[in-house]
Amino acid sequence: MIDSFPFDEWAEDIAGYWTFGPGNSTGTYVLTVLGIILMVASIVGWVVMENRKLAAQAALLRAAGGMPAPGGVPPGPGPSQPPFAGPSTDPGM
Amino acid sequence: MTVSLVTSWLAQAPLPEELQEQITLDSAILTEQFYFYTVVVMWLIHVGFMAYEGGASRRKNVMSTAMKNILTIAVVTPTFYYFGWYIYGCFQEGWPQDGHGSPTVGNDLLVGFCQNTAPWSAQMGPNLGDHVSAVFFLAFLLFSWTTASIMSGALIERVRLSAFLILAAVLGSVVWIMDAAWGWSSGGWLVTKFGFHDSIASLVVHGVAGAFALGVLLNLGPRIGKYDFAGRARTFRAHNTHLTLMGLMLIFTGFYGFYAACLVIQSTIVPGWLNIYLSPATLGAIAFTITVGFAGGFTGGWFASKGDPFWTLSGGLAGVISVSAGADVYHPSLAYILATSGGMVAVWSGLWIERKLRVDDAVGAVAVHGVCGFYGVLLVGIFAGGFPTGVNNIPTSFGGQLMGMLAFFPLAFLPGYLASWVLKKFNLLRVPPEVELEGLDMAEFQADFFPEFERVPETIVLPTGEEVESAPVLLEAFAQINGHRAGEPVERR
Repeated sequence: MIDSFPFDEWAEDIAGYWTFGPGNSTGTYVLTVLGIILMVASIVGWVVMENRKLAAQAALLRAAGGMPAPGGVPPGPGPSQPPFAGPSTDPGM
Repeated sequence: MTVSLVTSWLAQAPLPEELQEQITLDSAILTEQFYFYTVVVMWLIHVGFMAYEGGASRRKNVMSTAMKNILTIAVVTPTFYYFGWYIYGCFQEGWPQDGHGSPTVGNDLLVGFCQNTAPWSAQMGPNLGDHVSAVFFLAFLLFSWTTASIMSGALIERVRLSAFLILAAVLGSVVWIMDAAWGWSSGGWLVTKFGFHDSIASLVVHGVAGAFALGVLLNLGPRIGKYDFAGRARTFRAHNTHLTLMGLMLIFTGFYGFYAACLVIQSTIVPGWLNIYLSPATLGAIAFTITVGFAGGFTGGWFASKGDPFWTLSGGLAGVISVSAGADVYHPSLAYILATSGGMVAVWSGLWIERKLRVDDAVGAVAVHGVCGFYGVLLVGIFAGGFPTGVNNIPTSFGGQLMGMLAFFPLAFLPGYLASWVLKKFNLLRVPPEVELEGLDMAEFQADFFPEFERVPETIVLPTGEEVESAPVLLEAFAQINGHRAGEPVERR
């Protein structure tokens, strides 16, 4: 029964099928080039889009006047609290 | 009908050749499964890194930190596929001696490995006749992710996401894999000529990642407010130390997968486990080493840091890294002692880097990975000298280990320094200082990711140990850097 399973025959039929061709074929070369283009475009996209986002946020903060209070708390009047007490992560050496 | 089927099967006893063919296929499938599951286990390293860094950051930076870390996968995967693996296959001799026929030395199975690593080759896609190449590539891909992630933590809270991704691609798909070609392969020139021995990649992954990170940190600069006017270090409190420690435990779990994937196995080709240099080894030997390595590392880290939770667990990792280079040959007692020393070395060097070098490494990556990676390779030269390494059976030696260290430090440090210098020149390395002060999550996502938690003033620990509200400290630091006071127009750095 094991011998009668047409594994080798079916494997031969589909060997050259894998999306536009097997290894070292024109289809594979084209796919490789397309993939590289996508990879480079993504990295460029990350740089450009992040730069826009950060520049916009920095401009917004400067235009708001003064400096932002660290911690994301908006500048302006608000309840102040005493600093937390407790051990630091500094091993104290 | 069943009886007649069984009868006909029994009448057809398989021939020896058929049995051999079946055993060969089974062995290949077992190998395929082995590396597949090491990949699955190694994913936990990345779960861990994401948690570790997210917890170590301040609340205002938690999501951008986590996303920055996990997007390593998005950029290192294609770059490693398209050119990283090719570097490993083709540059083992330093420069390909025979084009796609390289390497020309080493085990017969791997001569000419170069041609199998090009992204258009038959081995780099679905291949019914090959059960091993794809999963072996995937194991190395996970090593690449890990190498890039090591750098990630050092840079948190001020590096741009895009800058980090470019640096991750350079480290994960060029620098580390080049050093792996030279010193972590059977045909590598450091191995075949000098007997360089780094079986579980102390220096090849960790040391190199730490040295690269150091080069980047010198250009990136410290977080605003990290150092006072006298150069003394302040401490930013992690917003969730529990998450950081849980992350480290996940990294440790994934590390077992990393260790296992560093061995070679296929029973019908070789009769047992081999290390990456194709010298005999056992999975049990390295399992001994990693386990006692954690124990020793925790011990050394605890005593050196006087019980600091972060440094105790980091010490565990440092301990393992310190003994990874000789994991296949160390006696467990030796590994325990060496790992304890590694845990201590990590703590002391981390404090020295922070306080004397004044390099702001947010998670101690340069100390834990960089210093202990180099330390681990040195220890092999001292304690395992004479052990025959690789297919040429060149004895490991102190000189050979030193040669590896001298080759890898510039290979790692210089690209990190240069790449970050170029990014800095184009003002693409660091986020604007206003954004850094407000928090990266607001800029990236316009959201705070603890919406139901009351927002309280951020605090900072002064060099004296006193914990104070951070706003005045950071604003003063910003003013010093930018030469103006709050409320005045700000120039971009």
